[in-house]
Amino acid sequence: MNIERIAEYIKKHCSTDDYSLHISNWDSHQTRFAQNGITQHMAGEKLDISLNVSFGTRSGSCTINQNDEQSLAYLLKTAEDIARLAPEDPEFMPSAGQASVPKVDNCDEETKNLQPAQMVEIVQQAIDKANAIDATVSGMTEKHYGQSFMFTKNGFVGSNESTNFGHSMTLKKGSVETKVDYDAKRFAPFSLERDFSRLAAQARSLEGMQSFEPQKIAVILRPGALQELMWFMGWMMNRRQSDEGFTPFTDQLGKEFFGEKFSWYSTLNRPELAASPYNGEGIPSEEIAWVENGVLKNMPTNRYWAKKVGAKPASVFNVYIPGGNASEEDMMKLVPRGLIINRFWYIRTVDAKSGELTGMTRDGVLYFEDGKVKHAINNLRFNEIPHDATRRILALGATELASSSVCVPTMLIDGFNFVDKTSF
Amino acid sequence: MKYLDLAMNAAASLGAEYADIRIQKTTDQVIYLQNLSLKHTNTEVLYGYGIRVFKDGAWGFAHSNVFSDEAVLATVQKAVEIAALSASVNKNKKLRLAPERSYIASYKTPVKIESLDVPLHEKVELMMEVNRTMMAYEGIKQAVFYLVIHKDEKLFASTLGTRLDITTQFIDPMIIATAVLGSDSQSRTFDEGGRAVGWEWIESLNLIDKAKQIAEEALIKVKADVLGPEERRSLILDPNHLGLTMHESVGHPTELDRVLGWEADYAGISFATPEKLKNYRYGSEIVNFVGDNTLSEGLATHGFDDDGVPGQKWHIIKDGILNEYGSTRDTAMEIGLNYSRGCNRATYYYDQPINRIPNLYLLPGTKPLTPGELIADTEDGVYIQGRGSFSIDQHRVNFQFGGDFFWEIKNGKLFRPLKKVIYKSCNPEFWNSCDAICDQRFWQPFGVVNCGKGQPSQSARMTHGSAPARFRNIRVGGSQ
Repeated sequence: MNIERIAEYIKKHCSTDDYSLHISNWDSHQTRFAQNGITQHMAGEKLDISLNVSFGTRSGSCTINQNDEQSLAYLLKTAEDIARLAPEDPEFMPSAGQASVPKVDNCDEETKNLQPAQMVEIVQQAIDKANAIDATVSGMTEKHYGQSFMFTKNGFVGSNESTNFGHSMTLKKGSVETKVDYDAKRFAPFSLERDFSRLAAQARSLEGMQSFEPQKIAVILRPGALQELMWFMGWMMNRRQSDEGFTPFTDQLGKEFFGEKFSWYSTLNRPELAASPYNGEGIPSEEIAWVENGVLKNMPTNRYWAKKVGAKPASVFNVYIPGGNASEEDMMKLVPRGLIINRFWYIRTVDAKSGELTGMTRDGVLYFEDGKVKHAINNLRFNEIPHDATRRILALGATELASSSVCVPTMLIDGFNFVDKTSF
Repeated sequence: MKYLDLAMNAAASLGAEYADIRIQKTTDQVIYLQNLSLKHTNTEVLYGYGIRVFKDGAWGFAHSNVFSDEAVLATVQKAVEIAALSASVNKNKKLRLAPERSYIASYKTPVKIESLDVPLHEKVELMMEVNRTMMAYEGIKQAVFYLVIHKDEKLFASTLGTRLDITTQFIDPMIIATAVLGSDSQSRTFDEGGRAVGWEWIESLNLIDKAKQIAEEALIKVKADVLGPEERRSLILDPNHLGLTMHESVGHPTELDRVLGWEADYAGISFATPEKLKNYRYGSEIVNFVGDNTLSEGLATHGFDDDGVPGQKWHIIKDGILNEYGSTRDTAMEIGLNYSRGCNRATYYYDQPINRIPNLYLLPGTKPLTPGELIADTEDGVYIQGRGSFSIDQHRVNFQFGGDFFWEIKNGKLFRPLKKVIYKSCNPEFWNSCDAICDQRFWQPFGVVNCGKGQPSQSARMTHGSAPARFRNIRVGGSQ
């Protein structure tokens, strides 16, 4: 891909009042395995060139994946044609101007150069280990290397180069199913030995499941479970949607709306966390507290709404929830009984205004009593309001990387609302 | 196109037992209007090819957007190398492909008016008028019109000698009115989920009237009562709502790849395992589900799937009994079937095709029954229209659904509007509780255009359909 050539073409030929050009290219290799064999195996590069243009306040955009001159001419003409036909936009914003974009180290050479044979060897070893314990393993090993660029007529220039390595494994042995996954910008910290040992230990802990009725009960949410819940809550925390009355966060800015033990940041200061240096509107990423000690400090706000309400535009570029120093053993001693949740599944909004979500547990639930794990239980359905649940946080564990852009702790929450159960 | 033969000859010479190439150009036009502000007006064209090679019981798939002899040959080479790597792992787990013959054929979605050819200003004028209609109602704080037009042009060739030329398209208009009253906010949506037709469908929908209806219903909904605590009640579900219910609780559990555990790590598996075929009571005797990739205007009606297998029609549930799965050439052989039902589909050129839900619908009742008669015959229940919250476990057993608009039924009459209704049920209890289905006159199709599945995630489309149906003794209540 020749970025300069594409950018030069647009600069030379685009006669609109304004434009934003986004270019990205991803080189990916993905090996999917199931029941101890490879079922899919994919490789290739994906190019994406997207141009947004405007005449006055009339805008249009076009996206293509070919970079020859004829295709670039089509890109330009199509975007311009759309803009000419579009009505005036009362909420139009000119493109971002020059800005100081932070340098973010999202790219790792070793990960970038990972070879397909190395990845298949990881799959082979995972399958060998599953076979050795008379179990089946399913998952995906993947590597991505991407470059992205953004230019605007008003002078914004940004670029990002990133890598990602992921390896997930779901182990099934008898009726037990459980999962461990690794998802990070660097391959080096990955250890199949460590992850499979953890997977096998999780599986052993889930043997001898007993039936458990849904109820309000304390939960220890492991990072994999907490990140799912936080993503959904985060999607509701849109400033405009809240200001216009559609979310639970209406009129709550600056107030102690969450539990005081709960804080949530996006940060550039944790090297293990991936962070896009700018967003699609050209807003540079910077340290930001969304929630601090229970107080709603900021909400994601686009440039138009920020200008209208006199706020600073901002977007969530990663999730960092500070933890504490409680271990799972410590947490189990803080409540008479409770559940340890590995992961949630199929979370959906039940009511956008109240913020109520539903979802299932997945990949293993443990029941504890008197400070000790007693046995595994069936999966459960919850109907819960996450911001409300943060007011019931009793303890926090150390933060850990749950996925490449999410770093969250284990969290003990009292009175989590389970409403239904499965037979497995 | 010369690249079809070039790729297939190269794959065969490199030892592929089977190979195919899918050259695909996908054009999407998306227009998003919110409160008279055009938030997004984009045309996207993605053009490239994916090459699958099957060798020694394993797949390799490589894709490219570069059209040259050298690039095509390099992509074939990459697919062959990847297949060899896969085969080195699959020594004791070799995949096999169900037999299939060759076809030389073409298929085109029948349309009267090409949606992409309708001038943008005509589309936007209609959308603005719909938006203005909703905004004219006091209390409607947000009016949204989201329009998607999608077209796939595919050339497919395989080493079996198959050559296919397939053009499919769909259009999907969605209108949302959101009302705010006091501390509550509620939305009502017009969403038929897309249909494989041209712009003539939009012209027939009378969207201005639809806009008035949903704006008025959003205002009714925001003022409506919340149903009390959960109780066992009767449910009457309209076809739009049932489209999503059947998608989640019948469509996904009967995808053969899930049944085989191929989605164990992500989308999940299925309770509907092969030993249950032909003997498991999935639903009551009036429950008949048909997989039908020949359905007129169906979103999964493509002529052929991405295995080069023709569209078919078959019973998935017959007289309430689990009858057969939706399958692909590689999944079918795992349960001893020597044919595929043609359910292998990819989203874009860069996606390896996977086992997807076909067009899947519930057959209407065989005795004359109108929705009015069904309500009149129901003492205590809730009538749900449209789609809302939906969540189901990874075995496709336990689920909870909401809806978009609700009426409480008392003594055979629509008694009062409700909001925030949810119901909980599970397989096979739910479909076995179905005791009445309205007749053919009230059968309607509803599309799903964003069925997410697979790693990397792919978004597929299919059409569902039913007449209004009643379910007895379901746990129904208000949310928190």
